[in-house]
Amino acid sequence: MPDPNAQRYDAIVVGGGPAGVSAAITMAREGLEVILIERGRFAGAKNFFGGVMYTRALAEVLPDFQARKPPWERPVTEQGYWMLAPGSVVRFMHASQAYRQDPADAYTVLRARFDPWFAQQAVDLGALVVPKTTVVALIEDADGRVIGVRTDRPAGEVFAPIVILAEGVNNLLTQRHGLAKADLPPRFVALSVKQYIGLPAKEVSARFGLAGTQEGLAIDIFGDATLGLPGTAFLYTDKAGISIGVGLLLEEFVKHGLPPYAVLERFKRHPIVAPYLEGGEALEYGAHLIPEQGYDRMPELVADGVLVAGDAAGMVDALHREGTNLAMLAGKLAGETAVMAHRAGDFSARSLGHYRRALEQSFVLKDLKQYRRMTDFLDRSPHFMGTYSGLVNDAALRYFTAHDRPKREMEREIVGLLRDRRGFFGVAQDLYQLVRGMRG
Amino acid sequence: MKNGHAWTLDPEQRASLPTVNVDDLLVAVKYYVDEARAHVRIRDQAVCAACAQQPCLAFCPVQVFARDALGGITVGYQACLECGSCRIGCPNANVDWQLPRGGYGVAYKFG
Repeated sequence: MPDPNAQRYDAIVVGGGPAGVSAAITMAREGLEVILIERGRFAGAKNFFGGVMYTRALAEVLPDFQARKPPWERPVTEQGYWMLAPGSVVRFMHASQAYRQDPADAYTVLRARFDPWFAQQAVDLGALVVPKTTVVALIEDADGRVIGVRTDRPAGEVFAPIVILAEGVNNLLTQRHGLAKADLPPRFVALSVKQYIGLPAKEVSARFGLAGTQEGLAIDIFGDATLGLPGTAFLYTDKAGISIGVGLLLEEFVKHGLPPYAVLERFKRHPIVAPYLEGGEALEYGAHLIPEQGYDRMPELVADGVLVAGDAAGMVDALHREGTNLAMLAGKLAGETAVMAHRAGDFSARSLGHYRRALEQSFVLKDLKQYRRMTDFLDRSPHFMGTYSGLVNDAALRYFTAHDRPKREMEREIVGLLRDRRGFFGVAQDLYQLVRGMRG
Repeated sequence: MKNGHAWTLDPEQRASLPTVNVDDLLVAVKYYVDEARAHVRIRDQAVCAACAQQPCLAFCPVQVFARDALGGITVGYQACLECGSCRIGCPNANVDWQLPRGGYGVAYKFG
C-alpha cells in the first residue's frame, strides 16, 4: 500500500529536453496534472547539440510558438556540405528563397537558452517543472507495472499511473527497466565535441557573406575534418558567434586512441576554416553522445505504465542530422497516448501501444525505418567520406587548372584517380550500398 | 580484413594532431561540483592496470582519466561533462557511471 501522503500526479516526465517538454506541454494542455523532473539546475543545463532546431515538429507541439518568442540564434538560409581535404575544400551549398519564411524551417539555437524557454511554455500551460532532482529508479508494483519514480530528494517518491522516460542518450532507467537490453556498443554511438566561439554579430555576417542576423549558415563537413574517419564536422552561425564541432563514432576514438579535443583543434586550424574563427573568444566547450543505432536496435518504447521518447529511445536520423524534431513529435505522441490512457483508465502496455502505432504513422519511425541500413553502410564503408573528399578535391584542382596540355589528358587523369583510389568495382559497390541505405 | 576494420590511423594523420591543453577548454565550462560524491568510479583497479590500451586516457573529451604511479587509473570526476563515453567505451566495462545528484555537475551556459 503506497503512502497516502505521497506526491501523486496524473503523469511523470523524466527529463527536460525536447521530448520531455513536448510530452509535458501536450498533457498539461489537456488538463492532466503533470510533473516534469529535471536533474540539471534548469531544464537545458545538461543539454548540448550541434546547433540546428527544426520548427515543423515544434509547431506540432506549440502551433503559436513564434508568438511566444523562442530565443533563436539565426534562421538557416543557406546549408550544405563541405568536402574537406588538406589545404582545400569543395563546397556544396544550397541557398534558396524558400528558406526565407517567417517562421523559418530551421534555426540555429543554443540549448541552454532554448530549452529553458521551451520548459517555460510547459510551466505556463500548467505543468510543474522540478529541476535539480535526479530520478534514481522507477517504482513498480508487484506485477512489474511502473507506478512512479524515486528521486534523490528526501522522501522523494512521486507516483503517477504513467511515466514518460525522456532521460536522454544515457538511458540508465530505460536499461534498468529492461526496455533496452544493455548499453549500445561504441560503434553505434557518436561522440561529438563542440566549441561556441563568440564574435560580434557583424563579424559573423561579414565572414560568411550574410546580410545580417536574419541570415544564417549550417554546414556539415566531411573528409579531412575527421581525418577521413567515419564522422562529420560542423560549422553553424549563431547570432554573435559560431558553433564548431566534430563528431565520430565513439568506436573510432577508442580504437585509434584519439583525443576528441585534438581532432577539433586540428579542424579549427585547417587553413580553410581558421580565418572564420580568427579573433573569436572560446566561450564554451562541451561533449555529448548521439545514439545512432538505427531502427533495428531501438529499445522497446512501451511497457505497463511507461513510454520512452527521444534520445533515450534512439530517435536520431544521423544522415540528416535530425534528432530534436523526432524527439518533439515523439514527446507529443507520448503525451497524447497518456491522455487517451487516462480517458480509458487503462495504462497497460496494450493500451499504451497506441504510442508505437502513432509513431509508425509519423515521420519518426518511417524515416528511421527507411534509413535502417545507413548505420551499417557507414560501418562497412569507413573509407567512404575520406576517400571521396580527397578525390573530389584533387579532381577539382585538375579541372580548374589551365594546363598546357589537352583537356582529354586531364579527364583521363581524373578517371585514373578514381580507379587508383577506390577502383571502379569499389565505386559501384559504394553506390549500390549507399542507394540501398537511402531507400531502406 | 575483418569487417573492413583492419586499417588503422595513418601515422602522418596522427602526427598532424595538435597538442591541446584541456585546462584551456575547461575554464569556460561551468560546474557545480559535488564534493561529497564521485559519480564516476573505476570498478576494479586491477583491470585497469592490466588494460594494454587504456583508451580512456585519450577518448574522454575532458581527460577525466589519468594514470597513477601503479598503472591504475584515477578519476577526476569534477571535470566530467556527463557524456557517458567512458561507460560505453571502456573495453572492459570497468567504469561505474551514475548520474550526479540533482543540481550538481556540468551546467552549460550556452549549450
